[in-house]
Amino acid sequence: MKDKTFNGKALFVATLVSILTIVLVFYGSRELQNFDAALVTYLFGTVFAFFGIVYRYTVWLQRPPTWMYFKRSIKFLFTGKIFAHLWFLGKESVQNILLQKFIYPRSKWRWFAHFCIALGCLSAFAITIPLTFGWIHFTLAPNSISIYEAHFFGFKMMDFQINSFLAFLIFHALNWSSWLVIIGSVYYLRRRLTNPGLIATQTFEGDLLPLILLIAISVTGLCLTYSYQFMKGFAYDFLAVIHAVTVIMFLIWIPFGKFFHIIQRPAQIGAHIYKQEGIKKGMAVCPHTGEEFATKLHIEDLKIVTSQLGFDFTLEDGSSHLDLSPEGKRSRLAQAHLKARSQGGNLFG
Amino acid sequence: MNLTNFNTKEEFFVDMQRCIGCKACEMACAECETNGQQTLISVNYVDRSSTIQTTVQVCMHCEDPVCANVCPADAISQDEFGVVHTASTERCIGCSNCVMACPFGVPKKVEEYDLMMKCTMCYDRTSVGKKPMCATVCPSGALFYGTREQIEEMRPNSTPINNFIFGQEKVKTKVNIMMPKGSTELRIY
Amino acid sequence: MAKLPVSPEKIIEVFGPHKNYAPQDGYEGKDEPDEIVKTHCCFCGMQCGIQLLIKENKVVGFEPWMEFPFNEGRLCPKGVQRYLQNNHPDRLLHPIQRVEGKGFEKMSWDDAMDKTISEIKRIQEKYGKNAFSMLSGVSLSNEKSYLVGKFARVALQTKNLDYNGRLCMVSAGAGNKKAFGLDRASNNYSDLEYAEVIIVTGANISETFPTLTHWIWKARDRGAKLIVIDPRMIPMARTADIHLDIRPGTDSALYGAMLKYLVDHDMLDHDFIDNYTSGFQETIDAVKDYTLEWAEEITGIDKNKIKEAAELWGKAKTSFLLHARGIEQHSKGVDNVVGCINLVLATGRIGKPYCGYGTITGQGNGQGGREHGHKCDQLPGNRDIENPEHRKYIAGVWGIDEKDMPGKGLSAYEIIDAIHRGEIKGLLSICFNPLVSLPNNNYVREALEKLEFYVCIDFFLNETARHADIVLAGSLQEEEEGTTTSAEGRVIRVRQAVTPPGEARTDTSILLEIAKRLGKEDKFSYDNSEAIFNELRVASKGGTADYFGISYKKIEDNMGVFWPCPTESHQGTPRLWEDKKFKTPDGKAHFNPAPYRLPSEVTDKEYPVTLTTGRVVSQYLSGTQTRRIGKLVDQFPEPFIEIHPDLATKYGIKQRELVKVSTRRGQGVFPANIVETIRRDTVFVPYHWPGLKSANQLTIATLDPVSKMPEFKVCACQLEPLGTIAPPSKESEAFASV
Repeated sequence: MKDKTFNGKALFVATLVSILTIVLVFYGSRELQNFDAALVTYLFGTVFAFFGIVYRYTVWLQRPPTWMYFKRSIKFLFTGKIFAHLWFLGKESVQNILLQKFIYPRSKWRWFAHFCIALGCLSAFAITIPLTFGWIHFTLAPNSISIYEAHFFGFKMMDFQINSFLAFLIFHALNWSSWLVIIGSVYYLRRRLTNPGLIATQTFEGDLLPLILLIAISVTGLCLTYSYQFMKGFAYDFLAVIHAVTVIMFLIWIPFGKFFHIIQRPAQIGAHIYKQEGIKKGMAVCPHTGEEFATKLHIEDLKIVTSQLGFDFTLEDGSSHLDLSPEGKRSRLAQAHLKARSQGGNLFG
Repeated sequence: MNLTNFNTKEEFFVDMQRCIGCKACEMACAECETNGQQTLISVNYVDRSSTIQTTVQVCMHCEDPVCANVCPADAISQDEFGVVHTASTERCIGCSNCVMACPFGVPKKVEEYDLMMKCTMCYDRTSVGKKPMCATVCPSGALFYGTREQIEEMRPNSTPINNFIFGQEKVKTKVNIMMPKGSTELRIY
Repeated sequence: MAKLPVSPEKIIEVFGPHKNYAPQDGYEGKDEPDEIVKTHCCFCGMQCGIQLLIKENKVVGFEPWMEFPFNEGRLCPKGVQRYLQNNHPDRLLHPIQRVEGKGFEKMSWDDAMDKTISEIKRIQEKYGKNAFSMLSGVSLSNEKSYLVGKFARVALQTKNLDYNGRLCMVSAGAGNKKAFGLDRASNNYSDLEYAEVIIVTGANISETFPTLTHWIWKARDRGAKLIVIDPRMIPMARTADIHLDIRPGTDSALYGAMLKYLVDHDMLDHDFIDNYTSGFQETIDAVKDYTLEWAEEITGIDKNKIKEAAELWGKAKTSFLLHARGIEQHSKGVDNVVGCINLVLATGRIGKPYCGYGTITGQGNGQGGREHGHKCDQLPGNRDIENPEHRKYIAGVWGIDEKDMPGKGLSAYEIIDAIHRGEIKGLLSICFNPLVSLPNNNYVREALEKLEFYVCIDFFLNETARHADIVLAGSLQEEEEGTTTSAEGRVIRVRQAVTPPGEARTDTSILLEIAKRLGKEDKFSYDNSEAIFNELRVASKGGTADYFGISYKKIEDNMGVFWPCPTESHQGTPRLWEDKKFKTPDGKAHFNPAPYRLPSEVTDKEYPVTLTTGRVVSQYLSGTQTRRIGKLVDQFPEPFIEIHPDLATKYGIKQRELVKVSTRRGQGVFPANIVETIRRDTVFVPYHWPGLKSANQLTIATLDPVSKMPEFKVCACQLEPLGTIAPPSKESEAFASV
């Protein structure tokens, strides 16, 4: 809300990360020996995306509420029973990041579709980024014409028979990702075009374009395979360009649009840690309802955060309006209204 | 936002002294297309042991919304009509900052969704020129949606105000509360 | 054989009540409905306009109907959720029969009809025609109400037909007939708008008729003073100008004292009293000793507040008095009603703009349903079944010999008594759940168990229907065309939005089929609901409730027509008595003496606390429908006992502690809700719940001598805290209590 447009700190961090990435590309590809020159546009797109993501992330972290959560959760994570905390972190990562289980109660179909997209995208990232950086490459095993070896950072990881099922799965991995993304995106596109609530609140660039882009990337990617496998490379170059354009659009858009939520989502775990640790430290009791409603930590932190943001809810008696639970606040407002009405001489008007 | 038939002449007017606590608004709110059967308006007893008084609270759609400011995930946005929208599902991390910071006690955390949801002034209806569900069904006029001329004609003894004082903080809102004639603000002690 | 075939738990498992919720994004198709049907809410006498959204013959949602003049889109929570009753898992989809040890099993319509007919014939041959009785209800349309009246007298040939209006509006009806010779609210609600003073007595409007609140608030915006008379600070009382917190059962004392005050201070309309009324002198003689001090003693209301209220009422130029069950459900309900009317007549404020009076009819078609022969003593057009001329006219309309028409039968609770005594052996019921709604319901259960044959027509298997031998799957309000009459006397159109699901049939077709099989097909052949309505018009012609000039088309064109409407060119009568020609034999409005007498049960050492009962906003009457709608159940998950902190302290009762409430008739256990908004000597329990959670285990069945209304609103009880705090309300499962 109150972000500045230029942020020196963020620029510095983002530049640093970008340089580091390039350095890692250089060494990870064994001084460019394993780098595939055909992927150079993708490399630039990816590095630029990294720059953007880190810049945006850093700006974001500097916002008082975000920083409060970030600071607290990192601190909680590494104080006390660190092992238990890391276990919690691991568990939460699997449940919330990998499986996105919080979507399931909203609708099992929405969860399924989102899981397809997420799995498709994350697997595609896991494959394409190292490939682009030259961190992964495949070679024929020495003295063999049927065994492939996979290398990561120049180190041999595994080998497999060229005609094996495993090989089929590995070489078509991006196709599987594409299908997953298409299934999920088509579901969401249909939902966005038919659900009146969404129709009312969505925007084309914010909500529909991302889905269209995902479908475009996946379809053009699949077409590439189709072209060289079944159509003797028909329109391959054209498709390759289109694919590259959609992918690069996607990459450089990550920091600015809807896809930034991929980067933001781990913050949810932070919120969970924050809440869990807060409960241990004690609950706040609403002075109006007399009931517990939030952690003391949360309310105290919010007082700091709101004041950093320029809000001051301190009441005349020195307490804060924020000490009240939502129900308490509503009731106090109603009581204030009742008082004003009585002073006006009539409860009704 | 896409739909632009939002009737800028119509406004929301609330008078909680008229509320009879029937919760027709809560039921109707859940029928709003943006909510997925979740009720985002709140009706509650003010202090049941001593009074039957109930209060009703819609989102006041603050000019500078505290909820959006305290959101660590930039999940709450405000549109060109001043409507403060519910958390975007992809961004909201369910931290409840907005729930606890809103001076009116409006946002609701839906625990099972790990998501905050709040009143969007029935955007699916208001964006096509209809009135919000809650104000349409409210049998007591505690919630009214219409023009300023209408409310002045209907409630000659009251003045709509949209300035609220919470201790040191002054909050200005899009939604009005009906006060004794001539009032300019409501101070919450 | 009307005992439960298996345990209630097993019946509930199959037939509910189960809570119905809309799916997460609403029902499929509500965004693109096949049809949007303009009709009315099925609950309460307000009959709010509402549009139902229909997809593939199912009700999938609603949309406010902004144009309907009474409610202009406004609804209460029940109205908002009413769309969930059609698409409901508990819905009966075919006839079922009682099978001992197994519960209820599906049967064919043919078998169900055969069995029903043979049992009716058997019982009537063995014990006489009147040994088979019928109980009905006024959630039924005018057409169905009329049909039931004719069906019982012509097809069943029994005199013992009565209806659940006996627990609802009969005291008001009787009082109105005594005073005006006609039973209808004198005004429509737009007359509230400029009333200077409004008295609301015994009517928890904001919970039982929430949409009427708008009209009262509107009047207050124009400067009206509001006087609310109720033992509890109900929502409407909180901001009222005067709240008279009356001791239950003492209403007529208050009205008497107010009347005396008007007389003593000459706040009377002498011209009106002299020229257009009778009985004034006897009436004021009856209250000559009713001083403010005396009234304070009896009613427990501060005498200054009574005085203030009487002053306001006396000095006003325009006014409106509204009452409902709070004053009517007494063994002196009629006295209370005429007590109110006396206040209206004394000031002459009737039959003029913004001068109004009326009972607020409770049930959906409580007004129309009580006019056309539904009652044990009544024939269509609000005619008298014992009046030879009336009998002759209706016999002519029905095409029967007047001698074959049964006479006056027993009223609802008297039918229960007669079953107990073994005089009535068979029962057909429709639209009535007496096990929840009648007082002293353990006695009612015993009666049901004595029946030889009980057949029930209903859409859900309600608590009473569980005792039936056969249940015929009938129809909901939105499954049949028809008309109803709202509390204002406005005749309106309800629509068939969907057809009955599965093998369920319309109530009308079921009654016609039984009539046919009883050999009366010639008297019961109608092409459609409109044909029944057209017969009703003729039958009502010349009666006080004259519908002759009302047609379906006229209703549709005008969004309702107010009866009386005697000719086709007549525009209807939104405001009665503008001509000051009352329908009594002498053409005058009658004052009726209403001396105060005690309620049938007063508190004593053993039973020291006054118990009163009532409703909550999210439930409707016996809850057959509303206890099946999830959100309405969740709003008030269980009955509670409202008790003042002082009384609670006296008994050592804590908030939400379980309290055993006992009367001479039964006992119930309810969590305490300790609130300052009730009189110190009175406790309150809402009555919508069944079985062990039923407040009507406690209430008393003393009947008003005139109206035969049971005394729901006051009896004596004792309290005993049980020492345990009740589990959270949501876990109570009271909606399906056994």
